[in-house]
Amino acid sequence: MNTMQSLPLLQNALTVGAILFSLGLVGILTRRNLIVMFLAAEMMLQGISVSLVAWSRYHGDWGGHVLVIFVLTVAACEAAVALVFVLQAFSRTGRLDSAAWQSLREATVGRTVDHELPSIDTVPPQFPTLAPAGILPAADENEPLQREHV
Amino acid sequence: MQEFSPSTLLALVPLLPLAGAILTVLLGRRLGAKAHLPAIAGIAGAAAVAVMLLAATARDVGPAHGVHAEPVRPVEMITTLWNWATFESAYTPPAGSPAADPHLTPQDLAAGKDVRSFSIPVALRLDPLTATMLTIITCVGLLVAIYSTGYIHDDPGYPRFFALVAMFVFSMSMLVAASNFLLVYVFWEAVGACSYLLIGFWFTKPEAARAAKKAFLVNRIGDFGLAIAVFLLWMTYGTLDFHDTVSPDGVIMPGILGQTRFADAAGYVGGALGTAICLLLLLAACGKSAQLPLHVWLPDAMEGPTPASALIHAATMVTAGIYLITRSAPLFAACPGALTVVSIIGATTALVAALIGTVQNDLKRVLAYSTISQLGYMFASLGTGTMLGFTAAIFHLLTHACFKALLFLGAGSVMHAMGGVIDMRRFGGLRRVMPITAATFLVGAAALSGVAPFAGFFSKDEILAALHAKAWPAAHGDHHTALAGGPIHLASFASDSTHTAGVAVGLDALDRPETWQILFWMSLITAGLTAFYTFRAVFMTFTGPTRVPEGAHGHGHSHDAGPAVHDGDTGHHHDQHAGHGGHVAESYESPWAMTLPLVILAVPSALIGWLLFSTNWLAHFLSATPSLTAPAVAATATPHAFHMNLAIQGTLAAAIGIVVAAIGHLGQRSDGPQLERFLGPLQTLFSNTFYFDQIYSALVVRPLEGLALVAALFDRYVIDGTVDAIAEIPVALGGIVRRSQSGLLQRYALAGVMGVLAIVVLLAWQLRG
Repeated sequence: MNTMQSLPLLQNALTVGAILFSLGLVGILTRRNLIVMFLAAEMMLQGISVSLVAWSRYHGDWGGHVLVIFVLTVAACEAAVALVFVLQAFSRTGRLDSAAWQSLREATVGRTVDHELPSIDTVPPQFPTLAPAGILPAADENEPLQREHV
Repeated sequence: MQEFSPSTLLALVPLLPLAGAILTVLLGRRLGAKAHLPAIAGIAGAAAVAVMLLAATARDVGPAHGVHAEPVRPVEMITTLWNWATFESAYTPPAGSPAADPHLTPQDLAAGKDVRSFSIPVALRLDPLTATMLTIITCVGLLVAIYSTGYIHDDPGYPRFFALVAMFVFSMSMLVAASNFLLVYVFWEAVGACSYLLIGFWFTKPEAARAAKKAFLVNRIGDFGLAIAVFLLWMTYGTLDFHDTVSPDGVIMPGILGQTRFADAAGYVGGALGTAICLLLLLAACGKSAQLPLHVWLPDAMEGPTPASALIHAATMVTAGIYLITRSAPLFAACPGALTVVSIIGATTALVAALIGTVQNDLKRVLAYSTISQLGYMFASLGTGTMLGFTAAIFHLLTHACFKALLFLGAGSVMHAMGGVIDMRRFGGLRRVMPITAATFLVGAAALSGVAPFAGFFSKDEILAALHAKAWPAAHGDHHTALAGGPIHLASFASDSTHTAGVAVGLDALDRPETWQILFWMSLITAGLTAFYTFRAVFMTFTGPTRVPEGAHGHGHSHDAGPAVHDGDTGHHHDQHAGHGGHVAESYESPWAMTLPLVILAVPSALIGWLLFSTNWLAHFLSATPSLTAPAVAATATPHAFHMNLAIQGTLAAAIGIVVAAIGHLGQRSDGPQLERFLGPLQTLFSNTFYFDQIYSALVVRPLEGLALVAALFDRYVIDGTVDAIAEIPVALGGIVRRSQSGLLQRYALAGVMGVLAIVVLLAWQLRG
C-alpha cells in the first residue's frame, strides 16, 4: 500500500475523530440534559471509533475495524441501559436536569442552586395547516400536548 | 444400682442442676409460668442422687462401735472426669520442703530428677463430709425452689430466678465435691457470682443493686485471701490436689490432704508459712461466711428475694467457709495459733452479731445477724481443732441449715402476706391469721434458741462441749490432759525452724486455757442473746393484738390461688383497722407451695438433733472423712458423751433469754420499744451495728472513691483529651477537600477530565526527550 497516499488520509481521519471527541467532551461538561449528555458521550465514542478505523486502515490491519464493531455493539447495549436509567430518573423527578441529582454530596456542603430555569414557552405550538381531508378527529381535552419540564 | 457406679452418680449431682439451669435459660421465656420445672426437676434429681450417695457412703463407713471410739478408716472415692490443663516441668520442690521426695539425694535434685508437672484434674471426691454437704445443699435447694414457685410467681424475672438457683446448686455441689484447691477456688467464685446475681435479682431497686455490689466487693477480699493461699499451697506442697495421685510411671504424688501425707510426720508445714496459709484460708472463709470483720455484706444481702436468702445466705453458701476449714483441718492442726484465731474470730462474731440482732426491727435482718452469729459459733467450734469441734461444727451446720432455712422461709411467708412489709413493728399477732407459718416459725425459733428437744439444742451443746474441753481440759478426762499444754502436739510439726517467725509464735501463745475460757463464756452469753432476739422476733410478729399493715392483701395475695384467697372488700376492711389492733376475720396464710416446705423443714428442725446426737451417727460418719483421719485430728477424738452440766448451762442461758424476751415483748407489748428504753446509749451502738459500715466507709470506701475520682478526672481530661485531639487531625485534613464533594455530575466529570489531561501532559513531558 502506498504510504504517501495513506498518510494524508490518516491525518484527515484523525482530525475528524479528534473534533468529534472534543465536541462530545465539551457537550458532556456543559450540557445538563441527561439525554444530551448521553448523546455527547456517544459522540466521543464515535470520535474514537473513527481514529481506530483510520489507524487500522493506515497499518493495513483489520484489528481496529473489529474493535470498532465491538465498540458499536457495546455502545448499543450501553445506550439501552443508559436510556432506562434516564427514563427512571425522569419518572421520579419529572426532570432531565442532571443537577437535580446531587444528594451524594458531603453533608456539610449545601445544595447547589443555580439560577432559575428558563421559563417555558406556553404558547401552543403552531402546526402547519393543511386542507381538511375528511372529518376532524375529536381532540382529547385531557391529553397534554407537552410536558411541563424538559 | 448395678448400672450406675458411684462415680457416675457423683457426677450427676452437679450435672442435673446444671442441665436444669441451661434448660431454664434456653426455654425460660417459652415455659412462662412453668419455668420452674427444669430447675426443680434437676435439683430434685440431684437431691435423690445425693441421698443415695449419702447412704452408700454410710454403708462404707460402717456402724458406730459403741462408746469406745476406735480409729475409723478413711472413706473416700475420687473420680477424675478429665484433665483440665497440664504444664510440664512446672515445679521443683526446694530441698527439705514437705513436697520434696526424701529418697532423692541432693545430686539427683541438682540433676533435675524431681521436676514436677502441674496438672489440674477435674476430680470429684466422695467422702462423708462431701456426702453430708451435698445432701444439705440439694435438699434445702429443692425445698427452697418449691417455695419459690409460690413466692416469686408473676415476677418478670421468674425464669431467671430458677436458672440462678439451679446454677447455684450446681456451683455449690461442685465446690464441696471438688478434690482440688484450684477447682474449689473456681466454684468459690461461682457461688459468689450466683449470690451476687440473686441479691441483685430486683436490680432496678437501687438498694438491691447496691447490696449486691457490696456483697461482691467484700467477698473479693476473702477471695483474694483464698487465691494467695492457693499460690502458697502450690509453692509449699507442689500440688493442689486433695487426694494422692499416681503418675503414669507409678510414682505416688502425695496430695495435700491425702493418706500419704497423713502418714508422714513432717507432712505439714507449721511455723510462719503454715500459719500464713491458714490465716489466708481463714480470710477466705471469713469473707464467704460473713465473719468479723467481713460480715458487713450479709445483712444487706437481705435485699434479695427471701428464698435466695434462705438458700444462699443462711443454709448453704455461707457455710462454704466452715466446709473449707473442715476440709483443711490437717493444715490448721499444724498451726495451733491459727486455730485459736479461728475460734476468737468466731466467738467474737457470734457475740457481736447477737448483740446487733437484739435491736433489729426488720425480721429478715434479725435472722441475718442470727446467721452471722451461728456461723461464728461454728467457727469457734472449728477453732478448737479437735475431732469434737469439727464434727460439732458440721453438726451445727446441718441443723442450722434446717432451722435457719425454715425461719427465713417463714419470714418470707410473713413478708409475702404483709405485702412486702418486713418491719416487725408494723404487724403483730399473726398467729391467728397465719397459723401454719406461726407454728413452723416457732419450731425454728425453738431450734435456734437451743430449747431442749429441738435440733439446735444438741448441736449447740456439742459446740459448747468442744470449747469447754479446751478451756478446762482436766474436767474432760485423761485423754485431754495430755493435750493441755499444746492442744494438738503438732507444735512439734512446725519443725522447719527457718520458717518460724515472731508472728506465728505470738499466735501460738494465744492457745492457752484462759483464752478458751473467755471464748466459752462469750459463747454461753451468745446462747442467751440468741434465745432473746429469736423470741423477741417471735413475740413481736406472732403474738399480741393482730395488726396487719395497710395494703397487705394487695401485693401478696391479689393473685394467689389456693387457700389464701381474699376479696377486695375484706382487704379494704383491714386498711381501716390497720394499726388499731383491729380484728382480722380471715386467713393470710400463704399458698401450699410455700407452707409445704415450711412443714417439711419443721420436721428435721425438731427431730434431727436428737436423732443424730442420740445415735452419734453424724460424728461417727464424719470421722471417716479423710481430712479428719489425719493423726493430728484423729488423736483428739473423745468418747461420745452427753455433757449434763453444759446442757444445763446452755438451757439456762436460753431460758433467761426467752423470759427476758417475754417480759419485753409478749402479748400486748409486742410492738413496744421496751428494750430500747432499757439499753440506753448501748441501743444506739447496737442499732448502728457497731458502726462497722461507717468505719469502713471512712477508712476504705472514701479514700478509694477519692482515688477513683482522681483516676476518672485523669481519664476524662488527659487521656480522653489526647485521644480527641488526635482524632481532630483527620477531620481537619478532610475539611480541606470536603468542599469539592458537591454531588454535581458535571464537576466530577470535569475533575476526571482534568486528571486525564494532567496525566497526558505528564506523559508528554516525560516522553519529550
